[in-house]
Amino acid sequence: MGVLLGLEGEATDAEVVGAVLAGDVERYAVLVRRYRDRYARYASRMLGSRDVAEDAVQDALVRAFDRLADCREPDKFAGWLFLILRNRCYAEQRRRQRQERPLDSSDELFAAPDRPDGEYEQVERAHALERALQHLTPEQREVFVLKHTEGLAYEEIAGVTGATVASLKMRMHRAYDRLRELMKEHR
Amino acid sequence: MKTGYHPLVKRLLDGELTLAGLPPELRAEGEEALRLVGAADRTPVALSAAVEERVMAVVRRHAASPVNRAWRWLNTPRDVEVRLRVRPWTLWAGALAAAAGLALLLGRPGATPVTPERGPGTQARLATRDSMLVRFVLYAPSARRVAVAGTFNQWDRSAAPLVPAGTSGVWTTTLALPIGQHQYAFVVDGARWVVDPAAPAVDDGFGRRNSVVAVTAQGTHL
Repeated sequence: MGVLLGLEGEATDAEVVGAVLAGDVERYAVLVRRYRDRYARYASRMLGSRDVAEDAVQDALVRAFDRLADCREPDKFAGWLFLILRNRCYAEQRRRQRQERPLDSSDELFAAPDRPDGEYEQVERAHALERALQHLTPEQREVFVLKHTEGLAYEEIAGVTGATVASLKMRMHRAYDRLRELMKEHR
Repeated sequence: MKTGYHPLVKRLLDGELTLAGLPPELRAEGEEALRLVGAADRTPVALSAAVEERVMAVVRRHAASPVNRAWRWLNTPRDVEVRLRVRPWTLWAGALAAAAGLALLLGRPGATPVTPERGPGTQARLATRDSMLVRFVLYAPSARRVAVAGTFNQWDRSAAPLVPAGTSGVWTTTLALPIGQHQYAFVVDGARWVVDPAAPAVDDGFGRRNSVVAVTAQGTHL
């Protein structure tokens, strides 16, 4: 399920980027609509808050517009925008660490996902996992989110992050161990 | 007390094994691990529709800024097509005039070619008063084609191909670069961006690295 990359709509990203660079600023709204929600889940899970994620996505889209002429491969705008958002998420986490404000997943974002069977235990486990994710390192959290929330394969994650598959697996396996420890009450 | 998962269980979580493929004594641990990962919330997150309005409001403001417009105009790559209609003899005359001008320029006192200090990745020699010939070198034995793209050619991946030096795996090209600082990267097989291992690199602001070469009248400084 390669949800991070790809196209939707009629005009390709490269065509829209070309039109914006040629002066048709309003066409940028096409890219905003296309990617606003596509990356929202990644940012939300990385930052632990939908409100903070919304700010991050918004900033990333503005920054991408400001630097659009630097986009070397307009047909790969999606991956380029993802890198900007990723940097923004990491910067936000560093800022919070400096302010000694640990990430908290207590806001409305992680209201229980709808479960048709309504099993209380599953809902509690989902809550606990979201809280536990915020105790991983940003790198561990990112690989978990990209693999198990976004559904990307290791090779795809390597493509968007620049890390090797071996190092991603190492991070992921450490994350599994840490999550098991953090989730011992919810096994 | 050991709290981590067994390596085979981790491979199960990675999707490389099935539960049935685990030894019987690990199946309970495998089921527990699958329950944990299965709790990941994959519900799509929809942001407020106001995000689009806010982004576009800022974008319009930035686009209207004279400074931003000027910067964008200067920084946007453009295709330029020049079509000339000439008589053949004028080409010869032009070539002779250019050669004479070049000879005059190179004959000026103080403008003799220099062989300055150089790094292993680039070498430079004087081209004109305002530019230097810079040699780019990359060792890429498995590459099918290599090019160099940078601020000096608007990051065009096909503008400056390197040529292989025999079968040694070394690719080289020489470009005339204006005096100043330039950022660049090698493009291997048309898709993979590679920083120059012999040059310093800076963050390009998007999580990738660009190599940097400073061209001065004395040569290159890596």
